[in-house]
Amino acid sequence: MRVSIWSALSAGAFASLFALSAAADTIRIGLVSEITGPNAEAGSYTINGARLAVEQINKKGGILGKQVELVIEDNQSTNPGTVLAFSKLGGNKDIPAIIGPIRSTQVQAASPTIQKAGVPVMIGGTDPSLTHVSNPWVFRCRPNDTFSSRVIGDFGVTKLKLKKWAIVHSTDAFGSGGQKALTEALKGLGVEPVLIQGYTNNSQDFTPVVLAIKKSGADVIGTYMTNSQDVGIFAKQLRQLGVTATWIGSPSIVTDTAMKLAGDALYDTYGIADFNPDANAEAKSYAVAYRAKYNVEPDVYSSWAFDAMNVIAQAINSAKSDKADDIRKAVLGLKNWKGVEGNYNFDANGDGLRGYNIVKNEGGKVKFVDHISFDK
Amino acid sequence: MDALANNFQVLFQGLALGSIYALVALGFVLIIRATNVVNFAQGDFAMLGAYMMVAFLVGVGLPYWLSFLLALVGMGVFGLIFNYGVYYPLRHRGFLPVIISTLGASIFLQNTVLAIFGAQPKRLDNVIAGGVQIGSVFLDSQYLVILAVTMVMVAFQFFFFEHTMLGKKLQATSQDKDMARLLGIPVALMIAITFVYSSALGGLAGVLVGPVLFVSIGMGSIIALKAFAATIIGGFGDVKGAIVGGLFIGVIESFAAFYISVPYKDAYAFLMLFLVLIFRPQGFFGERVSEKA
Amino acid sequence: MSTQTLEAPRKRRLSPWPFVLLVIAIAVPLLPYYTNVSHFVLSMFMQATTYAIAVLGMVVVLGYTGQINLAQAAFFGFGAYGVALGTVSYGLSFWVSLALGIGIAGLAGGILGMTTLRLGGHYLAMITISFQQIFDLVAVNWIEVTHGPDGIAGIGRPSLFGHELSDDRAYLLLCSLVLYAMIGAVWYLPQTRLGRAMRGVRENELAAEVVGVHTLRTKVIAFTLCAALGGVGGGLYAGGFAYISPDNFNFQRAVEFLSMVLLGGAQSPFGGALGTTLLILLPEWLKEMPPSLQFIKDVYLAIYGLAVILIMVFMPEGIWGLLRNGWKKFRTALPVDTSGIKPLNLDIAVTQTTPLLRLEGMQKFFGGLRAVDGIDLEVSRGTVHALIGPNGSGKTTTLNVVNGIYKATGGRIFIDGNDVTLKSPHERAGHGLGRTFQNIRLFPSMSALENVIVGAQRDNNPIEPGAKALRARAMSALQFVGLADKADTIVRSLPYGHQRLVEIARALAGHPKLLLLDEPAAGLNQTEKMELVELLKKLRSGHGLTVFLIDHDMGLVEKVSDRITVLNFGKKIAEGTPQEVLRHPDVIAAYLGDPNAAA
Repeated sequence: MRVSIWSALSAGAFASLFALSAAADTIRIGLVSEITGPNAEAGSYTINGARLAVEQINKKGGILGKQVELVIEDNQSTNPGTVLAFSKLGGNKDIPAIIGPIRSTQVQAASPTIQKAGVPVMIGGTDPSLTHVSNPWVFRCRPNDTFSSRVIGDFGVTKLKLKKWAIVHSTDAFGSGGQKALTEALKGLGVEPVLIQGYTNNSQDFTPVVLAIKKSGADVIGTYMTNSQDVGIFAKQLRQLGVTATWIGSPSIVTDTAMKLAGDALYDTYGIADFNPDANAEAKSYAVAYRAKYNVEPDVYSSWAFDAMNVIAQAINSAKSDKADDIRKAVLGLKNWKGVEGNYNFDANGDGLRGYNIVKNEGGKVKFVDHISFDK
Repeated sequence: MDALANNFQVLFQGLALGSIYALVALGFVLIIRATNVVNFAQGDFAMLGAYMMVAFLVGVGLPYWLSFLLALVGMGVFGLIFNYGVYYPLRHRGFLPVIISTLGASIFLQNTVLAIFGAQPKRLDNVIAGGVQIGSVFLDSQYLVILAVTMVMVAFQFFFFEHTMLGKKLQATSQDKDMARLLGIPVALMIAITFVYSSALGGLAGVLVGPVLFVSIGMGSIIALKAFAATIIGGFGDVKGAIVGGLFIGVIESFAAFYISVPYKDAYAFLMLFLVLIFRPQGFFGERVSEKA
Repeated sequence: MSTQTLEAPRKRRLSPWPFVLLVIAIAVPLLPYYTNVSHFVLSMFMQATTYAIAVLGMVVVLGYTGQINLAQAAFFGFGAYGVALGTVSYGLSFWVSLALGIGIAGLAGGILGMTTLRLGGHYLAMITISFQQIFDLVAVNWIEVTHGPDGIAGIGRPSLFGHELSDDRAYLLLCSLVLYAMIGAVWYLPQTRLGRAMRGVRENELAAEVVGVHTLRTKVIAFTLCAALGGVGGGLYAGGFAYISPDNFNFQRAVEFLSMVLLGGAQSPFGGALGTTLLILLPEWLKEMPPSLQFIKDVYLAIYGLAVILIMVFMPEGIWGLLRNGWKKFRTALPVDTSGIKPLNLDIAVTQTTPLLRLEGMQKFFGGLRAVDGIDLEVSRGTVHALIGPNGSGKTTTLNVVNGIYKATGGRIFIDGNDVTLKSPHERAGHGLGRTFQNIRLFPSMSALENVIVGAQRDNNPIEPGAKALRARAMSALQFVGLADKADTIVRSLPYGHQRLVEIARALAGHPKLLLLDEPAAGLNQTEKMELVELLKKLRSGHGLTVFLIDHDMGLVEKVSDRITVLNFGKKIAEGTPQEVLRHPDVIAAYLGDPNAAA
């Protein structure tokens, strides 16, 4: 009995350590995402998006004539988990490119590992610094927060003519980065926020935050909130306590989860979204396919991964090579490539997008309002 | 005037969340008294109860009260399984192995529920929609329900343990197992009943708090830690203490978040715990930590 | 044990296991130099070695000392943040940062221990959890210092003797060497004075205190060592991964450390290391299941949780305990070498005529109950003095107050002229006070010899310094009670009468001036009682040792005592020689009940 457990364990261990075998007739693309842990929900959408892309690519004949296979590695929603996941996938020579996480803090954690591995990685984290640390292998398939904060500020101050700003942000990397960028952007528009209030993720009660907003007399709230669940609780309490200020939020405000949880508390709020099903033709056909396959509304967690997978396929196909360097050059060479999130033009840093959609929650439906782009 | 309203609002929120801590803490205390061990999966009882509610109400589409009843019964059955699977085999082995075993159960429960229900948090609606508006203060109906149910449960608790035969047998078991055995009380059965009741109580807390915090995998963990802090602050193993401790923590953290700092909100409960343990280790209602002979 | 054959070899057959382990231990860190191992595998090795060091801390605190610690991830974090902040934010060298990290971890452990270790049990569990949570919150929110949830990247690695350890393989070698050194140290610990004290605390804290172990200090030291080992592991981890963030050091990680030590076996450093390795490999292994079992991928954490329960139920001593018990069966115990044991020296110079023990108006109240109500008592040097009285007359309470287990409510206690009223039991042991208990309090899973050595290692024991003298003293004490041949037997498996003798030997090994015996004849059969009487007579024959005893057996008391004091309702009612006292009318009334007071 004991012997069998031992041999099974050690055999398993060695299999996992040394026998990373692969079938030669497929091309394997890595995906580091959240399967377990508090962010597993978003992770499942990311996997959905990537899987849909793979399915479509394979239907069209695959990459370089080979069928595509996703190799998914769990990062347990943690930074160390992400580092390990990258070192596992990055060390596998059969994997020419990886789709990375959407959380900035995780990308930041894994950046040195990515650099060491020398594999092109598509990321969804929007902290501007991620692509500015001279790591040539990181490519962003979403607009970064300098754009999101400029869009939020510009829309609120110029279009809606609101000047008394309260900023509510999660204290994590994404939230504090966004808060800084938004404060900067507002300063550029001549506005000093009346309140800047942080909170930790997974807070159970936002009453103190809401009361602080009430006290500040703000007429517009800009938020950088990480978790949809927090958006839901905050929205309910905000409206219950009678705060009617306009709310312009970061993308989590228009996620399917946040809207389901908060219901009417989120009506008439604005959000910025890099993805909107009505923004362009690609987005429209993607939305149809996604709904058909998964029976849920597509949101940004899936759309960026869909684009990321397609960018990889496009790059390898046009480079006619799955060598890291060739892929990198091909990605940088993409010009005006049409994805569901907009038109990709990768700059030298690896940033692919520079625009955002402004959307409005009208009775639980996300309505496209405007697209603001800073492409030169 | 405005400040007064704000303070009242903060107090209300604190009391309401505190009631949830108190309900979970009550489950803790009952198990501590019956078995002398701490059940680290108590928070996950709340989580599981809430998911059962979602399954019956949203999944199967049963009416609210039937779902509610089924969820509680389901949690009772689960408590029985928990007793025989996690506690019973280890009952003679001191408190450490049992603590670890319940920690294992907690990991198991969270990930099993994750595999079944998926990661997306679920929504539960308030029992009664809306709330009460008094000036600028808003009392959410669900919070009012939570407060009311907690009071009813506390009253029931006292009635049950002081005035029913079963309650008295349970009391006797928790006070002196050997003596109870001599009196012909089936101790193992009493402990099983305690687990059933405590599990249902946890489930009740989950069902009640679901509409407020939404139903998610991690909802139980942080509640359980606060509830545990409440049991110690109130006096380890003391029923009154658990309730007062729970309300106390709820109110303290609500006010501290409002007046001091929001991001450190979760730290206040533990800070209070440190202070209590240093200056009054027996808690509010506990007996002096007795000298050992 | 008793079934050993006569031709049992004098020399123990060498077991192959240590060599197998040694070869594996040397081979693993060198493996990457000879085969092409991926970065991921190196990371896993690095994780395993650094975690294992932290888990060794758990072996010390949980396995040896029996105290729970659910904040080991925080101590791990102190070490890691020390290295990270030291090298990144303050530009210190790696070694200085590491030392700082370990120092802060140890200090935090010590302070946490000092404030909370008095409470123990569940309180300790809760306090350490709280400490862990606060650490996590501070690491996340105190962004100016800790860099917040983003963590700290670009952590430096050290150079050693001019070698840059930037190569992963070299760094892994360093971690392995540190790990092996720590395993060695932790493995050696139980055989030291401190280690025995720790195990004594785990086995029976009260008994340990009474025989002279400073139990609080021992626990605080154990906690400090545990925290410092956490710091070592954390510091090396930070260097190894070049990046840390708060979610490395949260409550989940602390639970993981706990599971590792329990799975492997908390009583041995090898168990700790084994548990660490397995739990790091287990999730990877579950993830690599064949396609037909792919669903396991989605539920591997659930399986992990289930496994923790099963381990607790079926492997209480962990895997290492299972293995060790397995091969112990095949090992024949060697007979104990009883030649050359010196006779036990119990001599106390009787130079003064003042009483050895003096109680002045000693009181002990429990609430309204006056258990001991103002007793004056003197015990002369070199005598056997008995304290008798009916049930509930306050005998055992008196003994407990003399011993320091209870604090006196009033009055004073002098031992050999020193006022010990406010001193703790272990300090009184240091003044030469020994004791046995009515319900035997030994250290059940330690050997007879180890039990007695703990008694011998009290402060101020007049023997030569060093482990050899301690052992010799303990063997003499065992010889004195006639159990030298049972020295290596685990006391739990000794018969009751022998256990009582071991307890007496433990007290005698401390070379006491005053020996307190709490109902030494309780539970003994007639033969054993006869042996006990002989032993007590041996004790009184001209060594200068003073004995103060309680017993119910009047025959025994009469045979061995020089003087008897009688208590009733917490007050002294008679005192004198056995002949005087046992005929005293008040005593007879007390024992038979006052016919007038009855009904």
